[in-house]
Amino acid sequence: MGYLDQKKTDALNSQKRERGIGNLGSEKNPFDYYAREYGTMPRDEKRAPFQWVSEVSYKNTHRIVTRGYDTTEIMEEGYGVIEVLFVDYQARFPLVEEGQMLNYVMIMMLEDGLSGPAAISRIVAKSKTFLTQACGASIMAFGHAYGAYSAFGNRLESYIQRAEQENISLALAAELLVQENGIDEALGVSSLMLKDSAAKKMIARAEKLGVAGVNIEFMKEVVKAAQAASSEPVDIDMLGATGAVMQDLGFTPEATWAILAITRSFGCGAHYIEEVERGELSRMGQHLSPEADYDGPANRPVPPLKDREKHAESAICQTPEEWKARFNKMKDLPGSGFSINEEIQDPSKKSGIKKVGKL
Amino acid sequence: MDREPTLRRKTALSYKTEEKTVMRGYNLSDLAEEGYSFYDAMFVLFQGRIPTENEEKMLKYEMGVFLEHSMSPSAVGAIGVSAGRPNLPVCVAAAVSTFGGVHGPGAAHGYMLNKYLDRGLEEGRTVDEMAKQLVDDYMDNGTPVMGMGQPQHIDSDPRAEPIHLRQEELKLEGVYLEFQRALEKYFHARRKTDGRSYVGVNVVGSGNTALMEIGFSPNAGWCIGSVVRGFSCAAHALYNMKKGRAWGASRNEPMVQMIDLSMIKYVGPEDRIVPKKEEQQEYALKQKEEGEYKQWVI
Repeated sequence: MGYLDQKKTDALNSQKRERGIGNLGSEKNPFDYYAREYGTMPRDEKRAPFQWVSEVSYKNTHRIVTRGYDTTEIMEEGYGVIEVLFVDYQARFPLVEEGQMLNYVMIMMLEDGLSGPAAISRIVAKSKTFLTQACGASIMAFGHAYGAYSAFGNRLESYIQRAEQENISLALAAELLVQENGIDEALGVSSLMLKDSAAKKMIARAEKLGVAGVNIEFMKEVVKAAQAASSEPVDIDMLGATGAVMQDLGFTPEATWAILAITRSFGCGAHYIEEVERGELSRMGQHLSPEADYDGPANRPVPPLKDREKHAESAICQTPEEWKARFNKMKDLPGSGFSINEEIQDPSKKSGIKKVGKL
Repeated sequence: MDREPTLRRKTALSYKTEEKTVMRGYNLSDLAEEGYSFYDAMFVLFQGRIPTENEEKMLKYEMGVFLEHSMSPSAVGAIGVSAGRPNLPVCVAAAVSTFGGVHGPGAAHGYMLNKYLDRGLEEGRTVDEMAKQLVDDYMDNGTPVMGMGQPQHIDSDPRAEPIHLRQEELKLEGVYLEFQRALEKYFHARRKTDGRSYVGVNVVGSGNTALMEIGFSPNAGWCIGSVVRGFSCAAHALYNMKKGRAWGASRNEPMVQMIDLSMIKYVGPEDRIVPKKEEQQEYALKQKEEGEYKQWVI
């Protein structure tokens, strides 16, 4: 269609101006609503046309190329997923030992029993979905607590950087990390693996293979610092071990997050299959929630609609003090969201991809 | 710390205690320490067994070659979702979820082969005969034969035949490869007879055949294929999140962006007046009577 021609635009706008549409003609609006254009924007020919821009890969009719390597050739030369992960994320082939280490980590991450991702996969499976939907859902279970590789890794990196910039020892940087952040869900040190040696074995394997670097070295200091600060026994857990190892293999915290969440998703696919094979499907309204588990407002009659004003409680606050009082009051209502305060950031660099697309 | 299970289920897959995580009877840590590969672990997970060396090699090849495919629905899904800057796993979840009835339909291909193999057994017919039957049934009905043709690699999927060749080289030929090869033979012949252009086997046709041959069920094969693609889709999303601009709509870039307003081509009803609330009933009735709206119903 393109922009509507002026005659039709004027006719339509004049008809609307005459009829009036709610507040759209208000003088308070910073525009004359009834003078606006219709139709889609014409194509922008002053700039290069849109193309998918990628540093990662391309394909044409006859080949698929990642970071310069033809993927079929990679396989024909005897490589596999492990090597392609290094190529995709780091644009390089791994040392044999690095490949062995990633293989080790991925085996360890494949299964974790009926934890969050598997549970979600099974719940989705019960709705009679595609397997891929359940696998996708399982990946979404990875956040900043369960599988907190982004939070863990970025913090680890920032304190290692701080040690370098402030010329302090890794031990001191680790103490600061624990002191300033506490023993939280993204530390990689907890009471979870006091009886399971898997995390420690992974670190030992990295050292044996000669792939341990500053992240593992620093992680060991973090463990010591956490043990000194904690009143209960704590030790390195799977987050700490896998995260530090992956970063010593050169993967960024985000790459680690993605690779390990996806690795778990294979296992979750098996959970989907088993749930479908063994379980019954779930119907809307089927599952009951016992009143005994409910601790919200007590049962109460719904007021007649005509009495709405008598019963209604306005949320409008006239002063910051009123607002704060209401805010705090609402924290007592679980599920309202007032107890949550999170930062949602844009991780993109501000530069954009300006080097491509110039006409 | 609450360590109660999130969900209680009888499961034959795994268990986890304070001491260890055990999958299909094997301590995961022991599996890794012993030097088994991630591909071996996939056999344990889905089939409860350690594979032969050649089976392991086949899976390694198939997964590796399927991992990266540049701009397919899965990567485009991941990049599109990343434009809003959610957490990275959400982009990957979207990418994996794009696999359905057309994009990488591994399970559908597997079910198709199984159905005709079963039917052949019941009717006492050979694999070759059943492959011809399948091609005729599908093409007579105008139904696409799963595993044939690729919208981008129009004359031959660069991954497909090499997978077949590797399967043969590894001496992993079984009933599935026999069926698939016969299917391709009859498919090509039928298209030629019909005066239609050549359409090659795609990565699902060959890759899923290999997966089924080495013992994976249709859904297990689908899981392996669609999830392994997630690895590259995450890289595409990450590249856009770290080096691109959010929204994919910036007018400050020298190149027109993904969702620039000029990218929209609208072909729906023309701009029109919204009826006043008091006109609603009469207006709506007229619309229903005239029925012009029906052409837009989706």
